[in-house]
Amino acid sequence: MTFGDILRTAWSNLTRRKVRTSLTSLGVTVGIFTIVVMLSLGVGVQRVIQQQFDAIGLENVVVQPRDAERNPYTRYVRPEREVVISPAKIAEWQQRPDIVSVTPIVDVNESISKRLVLPGDATATIAVGVDPGVGINNPFETPPTALAGVLRPTKDGEIVISQRALRRLGLTAEVNNLIGQEVQLVMETPRGESQSFDYTLVGVSSADNNLVALTPNDSIALKAWWFNEPDLLATEGYDYALIRAKDLNVARQLTNELRTQRFRVQSVETVLELASKIFLVINIMLGSVGGLALFVATIGIMNTMIMAIYERTREIGTLKAIGASRGNIRTLFMTEAGMIGFFGGVVGLLGGWGTGRILNRFALAYLEQEQVPIRGDFFYIPPWLIALALGFGLVVGIIAGLYPAARAARLDPIKALRHE
Amino acid sequence: MGQASSLIRTTNLQRTYQMGKNTVQALAGVDLEIERGTFVALVGPSGSGKSTLLNVIGGLDRPSSGEVWVDDLELGRAPDKKLVSFRRDRVGFIFQSFNLLPTNQAWENVALPLMLAGRGRSERRKRAEHLLDQVGLGDRADHRPAELSGGQQQRVAIARALANDPVLILADEPTGNLDSRTGRDVLLLMQRLVREQQVTLLMVTHDMNAASYADRIVHMRDGVIEQIEIVERTAEAVA
Ligand SMILES: Nc1ncnc2c1ncn2[C@@H]1O[C@H](COP(=O)(O)OP(=O)(O)O)[C@@H](O)[C@H]1O
Ligand SMILES: [Mg+2]
Repeated sequence: MTFGDILRTAWSNLTRRKVRTSLTSLGVTVGIFTIVVMLSLGVGVQRVIQQQFDAIGLENVVVQPRDAERNPYTRYVRPEREVVISPAKIAEWQQRPDIVSVTPIVDVNESISKRLVLPGDATATIAVGVDPGVGINNPFETPPTALAGVLRPTKDGEIVISQRALRRLGLTAEVNNLIGQEVQLVMETPRGESQSFDYTLVGVSSADNNLVALTPNDSIALKAWWFNEPDLLATEGYDYALIRAKDLNVARQLTNELRTQRFRVQSVETVLELASKIFLVINIMLGSVGGLALFVATIGIMNTMIMAIYERTREIGTLKAIGASRGNIRTLFMTEAGMIGFFGGVVGLLGGWGTGRILNRFALAYLEQEQVPIRGDFFYIPPWLIALALGFGLVVGIIAGLYPAARAARLDPIKALRHE
Repeated sequence: MGQASSLIRTTNLQRTYQMGKNTVQALAGVDLEIERGTFVALVGPSGSGKSTLLNVIGGLDRPSSGEVWVDDLELGRAPDKKLVSFRRDRVGFIFQSFNLLPTNQAWENVALPLMLAGRGRSERRKRAEHLLDQVGLGDRADHRPAELSGGQQQRVAIARALANDPVLILADEPTGNLDSRTGRDVLLLMQRLVREQQVTLLMVTHDMNAASYADRIVHMRDGVIEQIEIVERTAEAVA
């Protein structure tokens, strides 16, 4: 018998009991459907999150100094630092060949009062904060873009301001024409001293906030004046450093290395690793539900095949009499069982895919409504899941067919021919 | 090994069945020789071992002792694989209740042995149509068994038995489920095919009238051959 003959014969045997065949394969459909929906959700969500994190860069490592033990009686005094991200440290890291770049970041505390002023114009003034910049962005927010000029200042004395802050400051011209404008940050301490710092506008960001971006040195200068500590950088160092490693492995290694140096280290990878573990557990749990359904489906197929053999005993006898080998009979019944499983798998996969499409549409509509800027496929079916679904269907059918097919192959032709 | 003239040769052929504590001796030492190209009827009362002998000769059952030669093959000692290819390539079976596959069209039923032998579909179709023509059902190739009368179904089964160009056709009560008129047609058809195709036909029957269509009548009783009768055919019976 050729492969085509076997498929054709198996098909015509299955279609003579359409309802029974369909109901039997429905068991597989339910199992595969569950697996496809669950796994595609797991994979999809994980992928969306991964994409969000990828935007930040998985090779990025955020280093923070560690504060020394706090003295409970000096709560209002800034804590001492145990380790410091000094300019020397930055330079040391920058020299390493496995590190692509190091960006020192200064966190100008929000409690430090500062106002943006146009030179000589006392009326146009708004309170602003200083954006510490890259590295700790919320991955679920759309990153701002530069509407004009650059997004981050590159030289000391430069400033980037959000479009919104500029408008409120009274600068309503076309953003490109604002580049080069002089602005001042005015700081006032509660004790009444004030100091103004001059900057040149080099960029307008789309960020929907009142933040300005300065270079680390300029930020340090603000803080140094505020705390009245001219050598603040030497004593406290930077507040963060964003290290971009050459690759993920280096990032991982670096994380451990810096931790032993008593730095506080966060990498996106650590977060992602945890997320993956959680997703793995969820996927296994959800997959097990489908697995259970498939187990039941296997028994269903087995039952159907044994019934079919009973009904077709005389046919089996006839086939054997006219020259079918045990192998022919076994292959035929295995193929029938495999087909039931496979078609169950196909329908389950299509159903799972369709359900995913519909649910994804709802999810996106919801995110749109909530203004969460995440787009993506929450029910992503990777190629391996297609193969898995169809393969599982087929394997379930074949496993279910093993015993019935062996039984059919073993039938004694004479007894089978006498069977009523 | 087998002589040119005799196709089947059995010596002291025995087949016993174990039924609990009892042993049933279905064949109790059968010595039989059947020449090529003859139509042999196997008659005898029910339970005399006719079907058992037919099944052993067809390689469906194995003897308990003795030898059974068909052509150059001793079936008692042949490995299972040999028996399968023997049934597939050299023997045709005809059953009392036709045993056509209900989902297959007439031509597909006829072509089953060819399918098992791995022949291509168009070749099968051609051969099946030719055979259906020979049994007078050329216009029924696409009908399913349920759409055919009993006599037509048995003629499809005869065509199927001829499909692999066998040396031997074995028929167990082929007219048992047919009324006497259709039974007669089927017998005449088989008689004609034996003559035209030089095939050897061994037919089990308990109906002496059916047996009268054969060239030889082998009488069995209690698992042994009682008597072999040569049918003297009158000019009228041949026609
Ligand atoms: N599979 C079997 N198991 C036990 N006894 C059997 C079996 N097949 C046949 N027999 C017995 O062998 C004897 C011959 O049977 P069978 O060849 O079918 O006779 P016939 O075809 O002449 O009616 C009978 O007594 C029958 O009961
Ligand atoms: Mg019988």
